[in-house]
Amino acid sequence: MSAEALPPIASPPPAFAEAHQAERIRSPWGDAWKRLARNRPAMLAGLFLLWIGGTAAAAPWLPGLQDPSAQNLVLGAAPPSASHWFGTDELGRDTFARVVYGGRISLLIGLVGTLVSLVIGVSYGAVAGYRGGRLDELMMRAVDVLYSLPYIFLVILLLVFFSRSILMLFVALGLVQWLTMARIVRGQVLSLKQQNFVEAARALGAGDTRVIFQHIVPNTLGPVIVYTTLTVPAVILQEAFLSFLGLGVRPPDASWGTLVSEGARLLALFPWLVLFPGLALSLTLFCFNFLGDGLRDALDPQDRRDVG
Amino acid sequence: MAAFVVRRVLLMIPTLWVIATLTFFMVRLAPGGPFLSERDIPATAIRQLEKSYGLDRPLGEQYLTFLAHAARLDFGPSYKYPGRQVREIIFEAFPVSLELGAWALLFAVLIGVPIGVIAALRQNTGADHAAMAAALAGVSIPNFVLGPLLVLWVSLTWFLLPPALWEGPQSRVLPVLTLSTAYIAYIARLTRGGMLEVLRQDYIRTARAKGLPERAVVFKHALKLGVLPVVSYLGPATARIIMGSIVVESVFAVPGLGRHLVNGAFNRDYTLVLGVVLFYAAFLMVLNLIVDVAYTRLDPRVELS
Amino acid sequence: MPRLLLLALALGALGCAQPRDARFASASAGPRYFGDVTPPADNTLTYNNGAEPEGIDPGVISGQPDGRVARAIFEGLTTPNPRTLEPEPGQAYRWEVSADGLTYTFHLRPGLVWSNGAPLGAEDFRWSWIRVLRPETASRYASFLYPVRGAEDFNHGRIRDERQVGIQAPDDSTFVVTLAAPTPYFLFLTEYYTLLPVPRAVIERQGPRWTRPEHIVGNGPFVLRSWRQGDRLVFDKNPRYWDAARVRLDHVVALSLEDLNTCVNLYKAGVVDWNPSGYVPSQFIPYLREYSDYRGGTYQAVAYYSINVTRKPFDNVWVRRALAFAMDRDAIARGLLKGSRMPWGNLVPMGYPGYPRPPGQTYDPARARDCMARAGFPGGRGFPTISILFNTSEDGKRIAEAVQSMWSRTLGIHVEVLNQEWGSYLQATVALQYDVARRSWVGDYLDPTTFLGTMKSGDGNNRTGWSDAHYDGLLRAAAVELDPEKRMRTLAQAEALLLDQAPVIPIYHFATSEMVKPYVRGIEDTPLDVHPLKYVWIDRGWSRRLAAAR
Repeated sequence: MSAEALPPIASPPPAFAEAHQAERIRSPWGDAWKRLARNRPAMLAGLFLLWIGGTAAAAPWLPGLQDPSAQNLVLGAAPPSASHWFGTDELGRDTFARVVYGGRISLLIGLVGTLVSLVIGVSYGAVAGYRGGRLDELMMRAVDVLYSLPYIFLVILLLVFFSRSILMLFVALGLVQWLTMARIVRGQVLSLKQQNFVEAARALGAGDTRVIFQHIVPNTLGPVIVYTTLTVPAVILQEAFLSFLGLGVRPPDASWGTLVSEGARLLALFPWLVLFPGLALSLTLFCFNFLGDGLRDALDPQDRRDVG
Repeated sequence: MAAFVVRRVLLMIPTLWVIATLTFFMVRLAPGGPFLSERDIPATAIRQLEKSYGLDRPLGEQYLTFLAHAARLDFGPSYKYPGRQVREIIFEAFPVSLELGAWALLFAVLIGVPIGVIAALRQNTGADHAAMAAALAGVSIPNFVLGPLLVLWVSLTWFLLPPALWEGPQSRVLPVLTLSTAYIAYIARLTRGGMLEVLRQDYIRTARAKGLPERAVVFKHALKLGVLPVVSYLGPATARIIMGSIVVESVFAVPGLGRHLVNGAFNRDYTLVLGVVLFYAAFLMVLNLIVDVAYTRLDPRVELS
Repeated sequence: MPRLLLLALALGALGCAQPRDARFASASAGPRYFGDVTPPADNTLTYNNGAEPEGIDPGVISGQPDGRVARAIFEGLTTPNPRTLEPEPGQAYRWEVSADGLTYTFHLRPGLVWSNGAPLGAEDFRWSWIRVLRPETASRYASFLYPVRGAEDFNHGRIRDERQVGIQAPDDSTFVVTLAAPTPYFLFLTEYYTLLPVPRAVIERQGPRWTRPEHIVGNGPFVLRSWRQGDRLVFDKNPRYWDAARVRLDHVVALSLEDLNTCVNLYKAGVVDWNPSGYVPSQFIPYLREYSDYRGGTYQAVAYYSINVTRKPFDNVWVRRALAFAMDRDAIARGLLKGSRMPWGNLVPMGYPGYPRPPGQTYDPARARDCMARAGFPGGRGFPTISILFNTSEDGKRIAEAVQSMWSRTLGIHVEVLNQEWGSYLQATVALQYDVARRSWVGDYLDPTTFLGTMKSGDGNNRTGWSDAHYDGLLRAAAVELDPEKRMRTLAQAEALLLDQAPVIPIYHFATSEMVKPYVRGIEDTPLDVHPLKYVWIDRGWSRRLAAAR
């Protein structure tokens, strides 16, 4: 289940772009924000994500947080107790600490992997859409070909052929997600480039690169933001899948994916090893998805129910 | 229509060629080879094996031979399982994956579409959020957690269903259930989006203004177009579900096609990997074609370009 | 988010619940069994054969899953005793060994036939063994025949005439083997699957596809009826087998299961009657030991870390010794692995009668630091970062992480841990592109040379780059030594040298971890985990017998 299976965003909002060129009498971003704020569950999801992100980022400085690598072979896997809130794993390491640090890694992987796909996808799609013609056809054909390759296989090869560093993981994960991003952006750009403001920019002598990156891309931001929010959980899930195959982050680092895939194998014996990382992972994925859907609703100005 | 189909089929050939070439060279880049094992094999034996598989020939020649055979749909014997032809491995495993995937998608559609419709009709209310939350739960729990969880409860605690293997209708339930949960989320989301889009259209307002009951509005007018995104999604989804079900195949011991790809890559089974990749690509393209044609049937506004 | 909440609650409840086992046999207090103990209605044994067999051509294959299948379909000159694995009459009903130990004469039973009715004679054995030695066959275990005169040269292509190899079939029922040197374990080799006979006519006609169910022909207790890849192999009893009267199973189903949890689940649900050793997650073992249908026993296999001596600083023997002394085997085997494995400081495992095992490597942190200082890295200063390589598997990872911590703490060095998938891992070990790697070795036959031989200079299974002329000399001397006691002492000397030089650091001794349903009889505890299916039968009256016995 790769994120390529994500649906295309609903049709691009042309009204959006025109509003942008107007003198900001009504800021569409403000409207969007208001709509989003009214969506309580999405806001809650966003808050949760901020909280988790903050905790993960602050992990090394949190007082009382145990060392996630401190082993205690004699203790082994123990159920939750006062000294170990989430229990311990087979090497006697504190699961709570490992879940917190695992969050660091998972979120980092999610964000950076998404960033990679964002940069590649947006540039690629914008260029293809703007230039149009033969170049566009060629570029999209390449995307089709890459789409037809089974993702798992590509990633395995990448990780096997190059090193198993975390950098490679970012690249491998980002390399697949960019395809859909490219398609979305291209679709957007195709309709945007007919707009007046583009002609105006060109009339003022702006070169292609400027037009693409300074004028058009900012107008694709809506769907891009939505898709980005939806890509992060997909990347995190993909990394979990890779951990299941044994290709995830290198030990002793452990992402949520590593913890969950190892814990799932011991479900019958030590359920806490999958319960807590699993909850953390699932809740985070859930919130990202929920927030992304909420954003999409908020950024879609054709919602006639919005009064004002 | 016929011209469109023919053109698409013809376009498949160069695409497949590019994929074949890319895969051929990529898979040989990975370190290690198909004949390494924990126990040492005498160098003479390895040389023999390489000779019998043509691996001692120059790479260019290997490539051309491979292309010539591939054109005849002959991918040769698997390296790891030399008594078997790649073709027969694929044809033995594919129907299993197809069945598993078809049931999973059917189930996902049967659950996901109604959820999406409800969510769209009650947009921004509690029902919308609840429905979407339920659907999203499926994509938030990895398969390799859900599967063992289901087995632990349903099979081993309540003894309702077998824990694994693919024999008999009872054994289909858990793997299908596990596999479908992620797709329920996507389909629900797509349906909701599509329905929202359609429900805003003027002709729907007209239908409502004319006093048509809501049921007729939704089911007769909106639904057909509202599920269009789902239709176009089903193409790639079918292909992916068949190839990407390695977790389910592993946990439930289902003899499908997904693990051949993963294990083939790990085993450096060049022939099997090439066969499976090409098969997947061709299958995906055929499905996309079917979907595009179906799309035009459903949405008269769309033209085949 | 109702579904999610429900899930969370349920998971939480699970954490508090005890694992339940339903459908016990006797309700009274007695032996506890793991899962369903209803025997099958017919005489069909369903067992887990592990990974999908790469092939079942006995002359070519390697690996337990492949070997089990081959042993069901074919039978060699001798057949293993179900408990001791001593060679017993198989296709040959008696044999003589010459006084100098070089000539073995086997007498085949009269009237032997293949499963398709074609007669089977000594010529079949001769042809099959020569086939194993032919270079083009690419047999993985051709080396098993190297004790035979001329075999090694023939296999390497140095001689081309098969008549120069010491294998003769003077008549239909007599098979004569001439060895290059006396080999006390030669008879054991004759029961190994590489030396099983194969049907020449079928192979010549069908080529590589001769093992397909529609073509394959064997001389063993079962015939292959069907084979579905990644799923199962199904066997029927072979009515033409010479000892068919003794075979009490009508059918055998061998499942190809990859996931260890699935193996245990299917056993618990009663689908699988026998889960052979090694197909249980090792974390489960301390809990499964409570059950009467769990069998732990010795197994001739040792897990160790091999050191790449071609890389600095491992060329320094004091570094290797330091690492060896810093290995706390007890903590790993008893602590981490919860006693499911035995700590072991030798390369040669238990179970070799007459072998005077030298003292093994020990855990001594003070001496370890001392060795490190002698090596020129006092307190670990200046020591480069090293990495432990293992292939992706459950045990490999946790052990590596434990050792990483041990070595860092005791020696003050930096250790990384690196897991690679199987293909890359193999490549790295073969090409000597690693620092320290997890390895393991299983005995092929009941003699210490099956382990010690792997560390000879240049042996393909060495994979450490270690080469010691003295060690090689000791092994060579043992090979020609006729006095068994003296031979064993020489081998022990070689092992002592090996352990002192420490190109390998043994960690633990494997144990069998089998699960056998109480109604399955005929599966005994054997040293090499070989269980001939010929002797297995389903005892539907087992609970009655059990109750009566008490």
